[in-house]
Amino acid sequence: MIRVIGMVRFGIEFVPREAYWKTIYYAIQAEKRGFNYLWITDHFNNRNVYVTLTAAAIYTNKITFGPGVTNPYLVNPVITAQTIASLNETAPGRVVLGVGAGDKTTLDCAGVEMRSPLTAVQECIEIFRRMTSGESVVFQGEVFKIAGAKFLFKPRGKIPVYVGAQGPKMLAMAGKIGDGVLINACHPKDITYAVDCVKKGVSEAGKKLTDVDVAAYTSFSVHENLKKATKAAVPVVSFIVAGSPSVVLERHGIDLKAAEEIREALKASQWGQAFGLVSPEMIEAFSVCGTPDMCIERITQLLKSGISQFVVGSPIGPNVREAINLIGEKIIHHFKP
Amino acid sequence: MAYHKAVETIPLEKREELSDKLMDAILVSKNEDKMPILLANTILYHWQRGLLAGGASLAALLEAAVLLEPDRTMEILEVELQLTNTAKTVNEVLMKAEK
Repeated sequence: MIRVIGMVRFGIEFVPREAYWKTIYYAIQAEKRGFNYLWITDHFNNRNVYVTLTAAAIYTNKITFGPGVTNPYLVNPVITAQTIASLNETAPGRVVLGVGAGDKTTLDCAGVEMRSPLTAVQECIEIFRRMTSGESVVFQGEVFKIAGAKFLFKPRGKIPVYVGAQGPKMLAMAGKIGDGVLINACHPKDITYAVDCVKKGVSEAGKKLTDVDVAAYTSFSVHENLKKATKAAVPVVSFIVAGSPSVVLERHGIDLKAAEEIREALKASQWGQAFGLVSPEMIEAFSVCGTPDMCIERITQLLKSGISQFVVGSPIGPNVREAINLIGEKIIHHFKP
Repeated sequence: MAYHKAVETIPLEKREELSDKLMDAILVSKNEDKMPILLANTILYHWQRGLLAGGASLAALLEAAVLLEPDRTMEILEVELQLTNTAKTVNEVLMKAEK
């Protein structure tokens, strides 16, 4: 197998659905196994992202971490800036901000309108950067109006901002103003498309693509036994298929009728039926799944498509602890011998 | 302290494997609400420092595993690692606690 030489970074994503000590156990393990980035998702119905990240700051020593991703609607950018700047005091230089428009379903549940997502994210980043550079911020934006906000403490250094992006405009904006971009995609076709969009923003800003850390935020499942790896990936893939727009499904030649059937089954909480409808093509399109060698092959393809960070996301594997060990020993070691 | 006595019965060559198996049992347990926070923090403290197979950590792991997954813990001790003396000591601790 050909080795890809370059600055590939490995990230890992956890959904803080379980008790904090389980997530933190895995975070420590990920650090020991060579991961560079730890991303914690931010949904109000799980454990709080910043409580989890604070515990991660205490129990880890070198991994870089941040929300992956927060949104400007549920938390005002001024508070996001305060939280991230405070977190950066507990782990100086190891903190990043991941921000995106958020998940519409979750925002709807909280009764929060997703208004002008592109502008909201852009304004949030500007406010965040000005606040964390110690400025007194007066801001008259379309979405946010800040009358005069300044920290009563001195923030420590510049904090990189990663933009969670899916659509072409958000991807371009991420390339233009972000230090990094988090792309929810697993297949080279989707990554190639996304990277092209990022490049537009990058060139508009007079930057190089290498100035931006382009991360593939993937649904990942690894096991020495392919069947076991696939079985673990199926539930996550069923939800991705159900939430994917037709244009993305068509890009992968996925039957729209089958996708609709999965959507209906999930709505009716008929899990067995929904999972049973997940096809090998869907697994191929919406996950990085298989034995370590199969995963290495896919990661290599994604690196060639332009990513610089590979993020291992849910489910990670049938057994998370074993999967993290396997990734460290076989996959990260392959790229960083 | 009760579990420190049980740890003394574990041969050094089996400590690493026992630590792994107990940690697995705890991580996949659905009874996470039974984990005392002090115990969880002790385990994380030792894990961060690479001392999970040490005496103090094994005592904490045994205590946590018994609280969260008592049957699985006994299976690990008696069947999988054949630590009969350790299982006996853990049982004694449990019986004392029940009284």
